[in-house]
Amino acid sequence: MSLINRLSLAALALPGIVAEDAYAGRVDETFSTDFQYAHYEESNDRMEVDVFNLTAVAPIGKNFTASLDLVRDTMSGASPVLNVKDGQGNVQQFLSSASITDERDALNASLSYAFDDVDLSIGGGVSDENDYFSGHVNAGVSWALNKKLTTLNLTGSVAFDEITATGRPEINETKTSQKYLLGVTQILNKDSLIQSNMTFAYHNGYLSDPYKRVYIEDTATQVNDARPGNKFQWAWLTRYVHHFKAANKAALHADYRLYIDDWGVDAHTVELSWFQPIADGWQIVPRFRYYTQDKADFYQATFTSSNLGAIHSSDYRLAGFGSIGAGIKLTKSFLMSGFVKEVKLQTAFDYNDRKASYQIGGDNSGSFDDYSFYMVTASINARF
Amino acid sequence: MKKNKIKIISLVLILAAVSACTPVKPWERGNLALSQMALDADGQEAAFRQHTFYSKESASGGYGGHGGGCGCN
Repeated sequence: MSLINRLSLAALALPGIVAEDAYAGRVDETFSTDFQYAHYEESNDRMEVDVFNLTAVAPIGKNFTASLDLVRDTMSGASPVLNVKDGQGNVQQFLSSASITDERDALNASLSYAFDDVDLSIGGGVSDENDYFSGHVNAGVSWALNKKLTTLNLTGSVAFDEITATGRPEINETKTSQKYLLGVTQILNKDSLIQSNMTFAYHNGYLSDPYKRVYIEDTATQVNDARPGNKFQWAWLTRYVHHFKAANKAALHADYRLYIDDWGVDAHTVELSWFQPIADGWQIVPRFRYYTQDKADFYQATFTSSNLGAIHSSDYRLAGFGSIGAGIKLTKSFLMSGFVKEVKLQTAFDYNDRKASYQIGGDNSGSFDDYSFYMVTASINARF
Repeated sequence: MKKNKIKIISLVLILAAVSACTPVKPWERGNLALSQMALDADGQEAAFRQHTFYSKESASGGYGGHGGGCGCN
């Protein structure tokens, strides 16, 4: 073993310097369990969701790592169904009754194997709710090269969904999705790193929303939402992380994502987070998010019989709009020397305001579907 | 035209990233190993946030993660 190699190993043995943490695609070497409770709530008595999430990660032998993830969502509230134009030409949004309730249970499992520079992983999972079932399998490879300064990631997954709808017995449809991710993580210098990921997704099958309707002005009637039978999505995410030693070792995280799909939606997302360590294992993270999207080609707030066409939707998620979000997260870490090595408590609050007028560009249809929501999370993480 | 623009931007970003790289020895990676520097420090929260935005916005992808469900309401 050369002197350099021995010095490297000696340096890695120092507290706070963990080689596996210094590049992506690392293998967890400790047992860990995480439990998170999250609450999501929209303005105007619309939807609210409670989420319970339990995750366990365990090393098996020298090279394997297994993980199991369980999620339960409980949803209730009212959801937009269609828009109607009144006598004055103003668009009004109509919601379902507030009696929607649903529960979603999801289970995901994965197994990874670590070679010296390459990690292989496989996984799969199911997600089940009253009117929707989804199953998927995935596989990935992560390859550290260039003295572990560069990590390449390649993952692929395929999902099979079955769709039914409460109150519409004729709906018994399927959908398949393929998703691929190609990414590179690069250590730039001793204080910064960058990651760039591209994802390609192709969906085929029933992509409409069985609960959404569109309104035809001249006949004052409504018909079901009808979207194309396939969709291609491309996303390019770049994430930059920089360490500020002078600011008590704070870290800036800056993400930008460009998104384009063949339904005509272009979107931009910017996220900024500042991870500020305080003292005694306390950390505070203020964060900001901005999102803007164009409307889908076949979206209109309302239709007329002459411009309805075979493909049409008034879903607020296909409209042109923007969203501004801000939040704060607080974490406290307890390092221990017994059976439990570390316990971390985390809590966060985020507020998001979604408005047509926040859109960059001008193809929104007005402020009738503006709303806001907040998210609260609290979690406990233990490492053994 | 739009595709060309994207290609040019990609090339510039990749060149900028590569030229900005300086050799970082394993024992110099202490700062990068700090928990606040981790790209995915809190997987459960990241999954919840991505699932929420996926259910409320047209865009998705870029981040890892699989599976989903309807995200209808």
